[in-house]
Amino acid sequence: MDMANLEAILLTALILGSLYAMISIGLSMVWGTLRIFNFAHGSMMTLGAYVTWTLTSSAGLNAGISFAIVLALIFMVLFGMFFERLLIAPFIKRPGATLVTIITTLAGSIFIENSAHIIWTPRMKQLPSFIEGGVNMLGTVIAAQELVVMIAAPLILVALAWFLKYSRLGLAIRGVEQNRDSAQLAGVNVSMVYTITFGLSAGLAALAGIMLGTTRFITPTMGSTPLLKAFIVVILGGLGSMGGTMVSAYIVSLVESISMSFLGLYWTPAVLFGIMILVLVFMPNGLFGKE
Amino acid sequence: MVLQNILRKSQVIVFIAGIALLVIAPWIISSQYIRHLIVVAMLYAVLASNWDLTLGYAGVFNFAHIAFFGLGAYSAGILSKTFGISPWICILAGGLVAVIASAAICLPVLRVRGLYVCLVTFAFGQLCLQIILSQSKYTGGSQGLVLIPPITIGSYSFLNNDKIAYYYLVLLLFIISIVYLRRLVGSYFGLSVVALRDFESYAISRGVPLARQRLLTFIASAVMTGITGAVYAFYLGVVSPDLFGFGYTVTLLSMILLGGIGTIYGSLIGAVVLTFVSEFMVSLGPWRFLIISTIIVLVMMFFPEGILSAVKRLAGSMSKSKTSVQEIKGV
Amino acid sequence: MTPKLLEICDLEVGYGEVQVLRGISLHLYPGDRIGLFGPNGHGKTTLLQTISGLLKPWKGEIYFNGETISGKSPLDIVDRGIIQVPQGNTLFPRMTVFENLMLGAYARKAWKKRKESQENVLELFPRLAERRAQLCRTLSGGERQMLAIGVGLMGNARLLMLDEPTHGLAPKVKDELYQAIGKIAATGMPIILVEQDVEFLLGLTERLYLLQDGQFILEQSRDSDMLEHNKIMEMYFGSSKDGLHRANLQENE
Repeated sequence: MDMANLEAILLTALILGSLYAMISIGLSMVWGTLRIFNFAHGSMMTLGAYVTWTLTSSAGLNAGISFAIVLALIFMVLFGMFFERLLIAPFIKRPGATLVTIITTLAGSIFIENSAHIIWTPRMKQLPSFIEGGVNMLGTVIAAQELVVMIAAPLILVALAWFLKYSRLGLAIRGVEQNRDSAQLAGVNVSMVYTITFGLSAGLAALAGIMLGTTRFITPTMGSTPLLKAFIVVILGGLGSMGGTMVSAYIVSLVESISMSFLGLYWTPAVLFGIMILVLVFMPNGLFGKE
Repeated sequence: MVLQNILRKSQVIVFIAGIALLVIAPWIISSQYIRHLIVVAMLYAVLASNWDLTLGYAGVFNFAHIAFFGLGAYSAGILSKTFGISPWICILAGGLVAVIASAAICLPVLRVRGLYVCLVTFAFGQLCLQIILSQSKYTGGSQGLVLIPPITIGSYSFLNNDKIAYYYLVLLLFIISIVYLRRLVGSYFGLSVVALRDFESYAISRGVPLARQRLLTFIASAVMTGITGAVYAFYLGVVSPDLFGFGYTVTLLSMILLGGIGTIYGSLIGAVVLTFVSEFMVSLGPWRFLIISTIIVLVMMFFPEGILSAVKRLAGSMSKSKTSVQEIKGV
Repeated sequence: MTPKLLEICDLEVGYGEVQVLRGISLHLYPGDRIGLFGPNGHGKTTLLQTISGLLKPWKGEIYFNGETISGKSPLDIVDRGIIQVPQGNTLFPRMTVFENLMLGAYARKAWKKRKESQENVLELFPRLAERRAQLCRTLSGGERQMLAIGVGLMGNARLLMLDEPTHGLAPKVKDELYQAIGKIAATGMPIILVEQDVEFLLGLTERLYLLQDGQFILEQSRDSDMLEHNKIMEMYFGSSKDGLHRANLQENE
């Protein structure tokens, strides 16, 4: 085995893992708190990328991009809250809420994707990167932008964990996640927590979409593949554990990276899905699941 | 009660009348386009109603159903095109492959609960998709499988006469499927499946074998689906990997929901309505999907039980949000 | 005449189509401590749930400080300081003792006083003070119960309702809880205590209600005759010491 090859695999795994963690954490958060599976998560990523694109193409460039990202994030959080009020809140008290919300969020994602198709046309776009050029790491060259992603994602996730642990709102969110009825008895406004949590997850998805948009092309359906990856990460890690999700993201990216090297591009997705199904057969709650 | 009896009898009459209409339709309707739509509607109807078996009656979040269809289509297409096997055998093979797949996925399904079932079955579909994409030599990869030879009886090709032979084949399938489902659902087996759905622990304690019934339900739902997939492959002459994507799943799901989950006729109505409504909107491009997704949400909000149940309620008969044991006998 | 703190008039409640409470009337003055006992499934928890706003009354009214609270949302009721410590799993397993307490003080008014409330609670339950940073799910049954009560107290309580706090606990732990609840009562906190153990109730409360088949069939003040006391035991447990023994066995099962 080539030593340089091993490093390339590791590096790819780290970059992908950060990306996957970023993509999956919002999904995991929504499941933990609202107990629903947001099929529109991918389209939130797409929307975040497009909104940022619109902001950067009319405003200036690099100085613009930070500003654009902040603005886009604010917009997406608000959009997420609106989305929750419209497509989730009316259904969440029903007995079959999980299935119904799968359907409504699926419908929502179709709506968003096709709206993107109309508003921005299917022609591929890309977001300007923070840094141009390449960086030499461990004997391989990676794009500087990818390095940014690799570092930024864990930082953001740490910030999220800090927020959840030490703020009053974070306490409320975790309370609803761990014992909804008791949280309600303690005076937490559960439906407001639902809305805010969903908004947050939309913001996180948007960030993930922006990261994707700087290293790949933006298309109306760009969210589908990441969403599938997020599925694998979240299920493998086990629903209900955000820490588990983060670890699982890196495990998945490592497996993927190795598989790509040895089995090639075509077999890798099949391998991932196959492994996921296998793990579920032996550990029905995923690796770290808590149900 | 009288009204209920009338409704029940009228359903049979409506059904027979409907079939009669479908039989003579090709002679009345000259537009091949409309006949094609009817064929598509019937295919969707079979798909949707068979899916309802696991989704509505058994209450299992089975998202692998469309994969059974796709597998049936691909296996029939490949066997016919690459190996030159007789189409009739291919059609049966399509059913067989779907059945094997459904049995295979049932094993993990039995191990997990609730939402995980949805995700595991969905993952299975994706797994099949990936395998198909990677074996492009046989499957045509992302371009899809093309140039599937048509069905022939002797020197008569089903492509002749504006594909009318296909029309009747699909119609036959449609009739068989409905009768098959009705029998299944009204049988002891069907009742036990609903009992498992509504009162799982109780049913098990009364001796209903959970694993076996689940497995049988999956297989039962896959048989007609796989066969239909095979016929579809021959009818269109092409099979696209898009079948495994979100698009078809959502379309089928909306048909079931629109018509009413847990009812056979509901899925039929939903299939017909949505096929024609969706087709008339093709010219709208992506707007079409905006409208469809809005309709789905509106239906979920105001008619969660589907059109059929809403109509039944209007007719004054007792109706619950899920098909009760009594109602199965009637639909 | 001091105004009543809590007043319930002819309350009727049920689940779905099943009626549980059939005309309950009860009152509480500030500083009162009342006990509720009776066989399981006859409405004790239902009554607390209704006061807390988790169930809507079918008929009848509930007044708190003269204001109608029947039909208000659980949030409104908690805001007014009516705090219930329910039976069973009421804590946040993956949070520390400290975090659980903080969550108890989540409501706005309570949040401002959280430091002070926390000190009071930890003083009341020194064992919790030791385990401040420990995860809730690593606590013993008794400690969890103490934490549950502590969390309730964090909510700026004006009326504390405890649903079977000693359920399933060892006698020694029961004693600790007895002391703790006594201390809470001594601060003047009005308490509604639901318990199976009538002796426990007699020591901590001034008035007892026996709830059976959704109705109060006995209202007993502590100051009354010893004979009356025996009558309660008789009604509830059967006529001999034997009955009391049997009842205790059932409790420990």
